[in-house]
Amino acid sequence: MADDREARAAQPRIISGGSLQEAELGAAPDVAWRAKAERAESPFAQGVRRLRRSTTALIGAAIVAVLLAVALFADVIAPRSPIASDQTHTFERPSRDYPLGTDQLGRDMLSRIIHGSRISLAVGVSSVLLALFLGVPLGMIAGYYGGRADSLIMRAMDLILAFPIYLLAIILMVIFAPTAGLIGTMKVTGAIAIVRIPIYARLVRGSVLSIKEKEYIEACRALGVRDPWILLRHVLPNCLAPIIVTTTLGIATSIIVEATLSFLGLGTQPPTPSWGWDLKANVAFIQSNPWISLFPGIAIFVTVLGFNLFGDGLRDALDPRLK
Amino acid sequence: MRTYIIRRLLQIVPTILMITLVVFVMMRSIPGDPVVALLGDAYNEEDAIKVRAEYGLDKPVLVQYGIWLGKLAQGDWGTSILSGRPVLKDVMIRLPVTLELIVLSMAVALAIAIPAAIIGALRQNTWADYSATSIAMIGVSIPEFFAGVLLLLIFSVGLRGTLPSSGWVYLPGTCPMIVCTGSLWGNMMHVLMPAVALGIGRAALLTRLLRASMLEVIRTEYVTTARAKGLSERPVVLKHALKNALIPTITVMGLQVGFLIGGAIVVETLFAMPGLGTFGIDAIIARDYQQVQGFALITAVAFVVINLLVDLTYTFLDPRIRYA
Repeated sequence: MADDREARAAQPRIISGGSLQEAELGAAPDVAWRAKAERAESPFAQGVRRLRRSTTALIGAAIVAVLLAVALFADVIAPRSPIASDQTHTFERPSRDYPLGTDQLGRDMLSRIIHGSRISLAVGVSSVLLALFLGVPLGMIAGYYGGRADSLIMRAMDLILAFPIYLLAIILMVIFAPTAGLIGTMKVTGAIAIVRIPIYARLVRGSVLSIKEKEYIEACRALGVRDPWILLRHVLPNCLAPIIVTTTLGIATSIIVEATLSFLGLGTQPPTPSWGWDLKANVAFIQSNPWISLFPGIAIFVTVLGFNLFGDGLRDALDPRLK
Repeated sequence: MRTYIIRRLLQIVPTILMITLVVFVMMRSIPGDPVVALLGDAYNEEDAIKVRAEYGLDKPVLVQYGIWLGKLAQGDWGTSILSGRPVLKDVMIRLPVTLELIVLSMAVALAIAIPAAIIGALRQNTWADYSATSIAMIGVSIPEFFAGVLLLLIFSVGLRGTLPSSGWVYLPGTCPMIVCTGSLWGNMMHVLMPAVALGIGRAALLTRLLRASMLEVIRTEYVTTARAKGLSERPVVLKHALKNALIPTITVMGLQVGFLIGGAIVVETLFAMPGLGTFGIDAIIARDYQQVQGFALITAVAFVVINLLVDLTYTFLDPRIRYA
């Protein structure tokens, strides 16, 4: 597939990622650096300032902040238990007692949605972090040392990328055998992280390849600075911007993948509340009780939208193409 | 060009071997095997050993893979242990359903995205642009199954029974059974919602990508030149700007195939369609080794062939790109 990669490499603006949003990184419109007065600020301060001026980023950040609060304080906010069934109150319509109604087991939908945010956010964030912690060092080693380490690592990444991502994630989940609770959540996290490692490895390798040719790296080497220190102190900070943007947008994608796996019955298992699973379970009753399949879907949508808006704003603020 | 295509086609072979081998090994590393499901309550160790020997499941995994490959070379995709049906036959029955779904969903995506992106880029920062980009932002945040549920709520529940919520009517000529009649109208009614559900996300993504690259292209000098020499707006936009803006877009869409396959699985499950997606997920969950291999093979082939087609589209969009 060497030519394949070269043909793509010939397209300058493409960062090959697997997901909806990251794929777009390449096509971001130019954002010019602003007036001279700002040049004195650190790039980080500039980024933060531009971020604060962006309405979309602020809306996204607000959604994410509210969701995090809901997930953290789910036990306090939720009016009822998300898993206690009540056979006398099945399929209640939304009312004052049950603001979002109840499902076929008489469980309060509002409480299930509040608690479901934990799974979505936990899997979304931790799978991306895990992929990051594995992918970034791999990409740095591949890019910095080149040679045999590079080809070994990148061939392994290509192997994962050669798979349609859902095929791999589904088979991994079948191998892990989906279960409920914390262990079940960790299995989903692991499966999603594995399929997403190559995105970060490739992204970082690309940045490192150009950074390691810079004079300041050569200067470090001439001074006798050891490689791990150069990598951590000088190379990594210079490829942070694209990593941050890809991570934020990657969380949105991971949340969709988690919801999809749950929807297929391969995510965290009941009784642990999960939006994808709830949606799937309630679709069966869509003709008689249309509202209950609507709410978990809206929850997933709002969460993904929040991370997408925030990630979009971040990208404009940090514009990785200027690196 | 021809040698390039032949070389690329040859390079596809190792990729497909690799994917099918990894799937083969992974499936067999899952505890339990289809023999347990096959024998059900009548399970006993003696019979199980006999059945395993009959299907060659007692041999080392790599030997089994070799046998599978050998048969594949003769056009035999194996026989499902659970259903006893030849895998190739099942795949061929289900392939047209999924192909129709994917082709129509891409058509939906293009039909929405190209006009939306052109309007957005040409009227940048007007209300038309803002609405196009906002709707696209919402579109990329809706997972396929939720889009499907919304459509179900509108067309099957709201407008009671306007469109069927599940099942399938085959296109005339693709009908697999002797006693079933294909119908174009019935088929359209069944495919409409799934295709839109799968197409919306693609449309939104495509709009965002295409708008961004259109914005870059219309600021280039050759577009100014085209306008300056008196070309009317239509050829300037469609021939000069759009064709060039499509190149990076097409690349990303090619990388999206993996997601499209996942989307097809989800949408087919939601609408209970007898396509490859439901075939694959059922086979994986039931651990029907032969069917999973068939599914992995057909997806791997589709995946690499589409990526090849993407690379070949470049030569059409930009004749300067040549493959030798």
